[in-house]
Amino acid sequence: MTEAVVPTLLDKSFGAGTTAADRDEAARRRDEWNAARTSEQPQSFWQATLRRFATNKVGVVAAGIVLLLVLGAIFAPLLTSADPLIGKPLDRLQNVGSPGHLLGTDEQGRDMLARVLYGGRLSLLAGFVPTIGAALIGTAIGVTSGIMRGAVGTVLMRTMDMLYAFPAILLAIAVGASLGPGLTNTIIAVTIVFVPPVARVAESATRRVVVQEFVEAARLSGASTLRVARTQVLPNVLNDVIVYASGLVGVAMIIAASLSFLGLGSAPPAPEWGYMLNSLRGMVSVAPLVAIVPGFFIFLTSVAFNLASDALREAMDSRL
Amino acid sequence: MADLLELIDISKTFDVRSGGRRATLSAVDHVSLTVRPGTTLGIVGESGCGKSTLARVIVGLHLADDGELVFDGKQMLTGKRRTPGELKQMQMVFQDPSSALNPRATISESIAFPLQVQGASKSVIAERVATVMRDVGLPAAYASRYPHQLSGGQRQRVNIARALALQPKLVVLDEAVSALDKSIQAQVLNLLSDLQDEYGLTYVFISHDLNVVRYLSDDVAVMYLGQVVEQGSAQQLYDEPKHPYTQLLLSSVPTLDPAESTRDEPVDTADSTEIPSPIDPPSGCRFRTRCPFATDLCAQVVPVPIQVGEGRTVACHLYTTP
Repeated sequence: MTEAVVPTLLDKSFGAGTTAADRDEAARRRDEWNAARTSEQPQSFWQATLRRFATNKVGVVAAGIVLLLVLGAIFAPLLTSADPLIGKPLDRLQNVGSPGHLLGTDEQGRDMLARVLYGGRLSLLAGFVPTIGAALIGTAIGVTSGIMRGAVGTVLMRTMDMLYAFPAILLAIAVGASLGPGLTNTIIAVTIVFVPPVARVAESATRRVVVQEFVEAARLSGASTLRVARTQVLPNVLNDVIVYASGLVGVAMIIAASLSFLGLGSAPPAPEWGYMLNSLRGMVSVAPLVAIVPGFFIFLTSVAFNLASDALREAMDSRL
Repeated sequence: MADLLELIDISKTFDVRSGGRRATLSAVDHVSLTVRPGTTLGIVGESGCGKSTLARVIVGLHLADDGELVFDGKQMLTGKRRTPGELKQMQMVFQDPSSALNPRATISESIAFPLQVQGASKSVIAERVATVMRDVGLPAAYASRYPHQLSGGQRQRVNIARALALQPKLVVLDEAVSALDKSIQAQVLNLLSDLQDEYGLTYVFISHDLNVVRYLSDDVAVMYLGQVVEQGSAQQLYDEPKHPYTQLLLSSVPTLDPAESTRDEPVDTADSTEIPSPIDPPSGCRFRTRCPFATDLCAQVVPVPIQVGEGRTVACHLYTTP
């Protein structure tokens, strides 16, 4: 009657051979089978994703670089004793690799390693906070309009489209300029830039999910729209949003760096990578290696985030 | 015995855009049906004939535009959202086993969800989940698995288990076995038949597969373009089809017995395979464009269902005009 289900565990009746050797062989194979079965734990979606992610070499290396940068920023005081804000003018523009200054010094004689490490705090903050903020707000807007359709959904999504029509960097400059300089305002500006694309991703994922039969089944059990959204729709929309948002961290850092480069970001002398790039710009002919250090770190972080994001997408995507 | 479910003059239309213009699609048109308790009503028809829409109107997923629904002696709303208490009396088994289960939920979470919504206690939920899983033949070890780790047949068992978790009186099976392999179909059909006896269930079984409907159904209704053209007991209807459309359907069922073969004597005429659009259905009898017996009368007057025997109705002018 039941489908031919392979028994989960084999009992003693399996493999009743005629000779003692047959029975021993059967017993050995039975134990092997049972051992394999009992050790096999069903994997949740996130466990399976992690396992597949671990097999992607590029992704693991990229994730490792991201982790190193984050740790370096957090533990900056332990890694360097140099002050990132006060330097010795006599030691200015030391080259990369000079004694005492691994990454050289800038035009005011401040240690570049210390400035890169401390600056990483601001830059990573400017990368992560807007992404997380935009992911939360954008998902809420996208899921709401994907479920509500009608007038509410149309108004929400057309508003998003209006914002989306601006080039990202232009919108960030406009918002940043109207709010004034400073890290907080940079974060707000970049968040506003990222909400529309996240909302679109969330909305299209929601539209795909709500027509599936399990959503109808949930409604049939008497669940309210809010409960259906929370338990059935949201978990299936989240991975699309996470994959998309992970790729935004690198972009957020570049936009934040661009804003500081233009003087709209964090205020000097705080060591922000974009600001550092701007202030060393004039020294590129004098100390070219030192001048490209901040740019190199912006590039490295952005590329690492994008590669890790691609690997994450692949790990989540493969139909199990 | 009183009918468990009675549909009176149910109609459902959808507003659609067709070629840039707004149009009205008539999915279900003045359908009246009755289902006796403990029996199975089969509904057959080609795809697009409104079977699935009717199923969703019955369980309350779609609101009907017009008509009444009496369930278990009580009037149920067809034009307003039902309360959770009303919804749980009728459940549905969906067509596509892969999209009917939340991919992020384990099997036991999926089965337990309706019980949680209905406010059952933790111990009751655990007990009910274990019971229905056993009853549909799912090993207890599957409780913590995810849908992608199960075969199509097993997933459909989970769907059935979820529908039964709330102990409904009526289960609507919407193409419940159509997506499965033939061999698995037979197993699931047997399971459904066993469950009907154990739980005392009443089924509305919707399918395009005439053989499958015949196997499970006590009564059968044939739908064409949103209307019921003929209904009666399965035995009568299959042995002696009255409506030309039923005759056409039955003549197209493949059979293994050469003596029963109708291959060389099709009722169908050459251009009769094209189904008219439900957006602008033919006037009068909707089947007339494909009917070999169509007359002028068919284009002018809508045939009403008339009684042609015990529990047997047919909506065709061949039986109204002497």
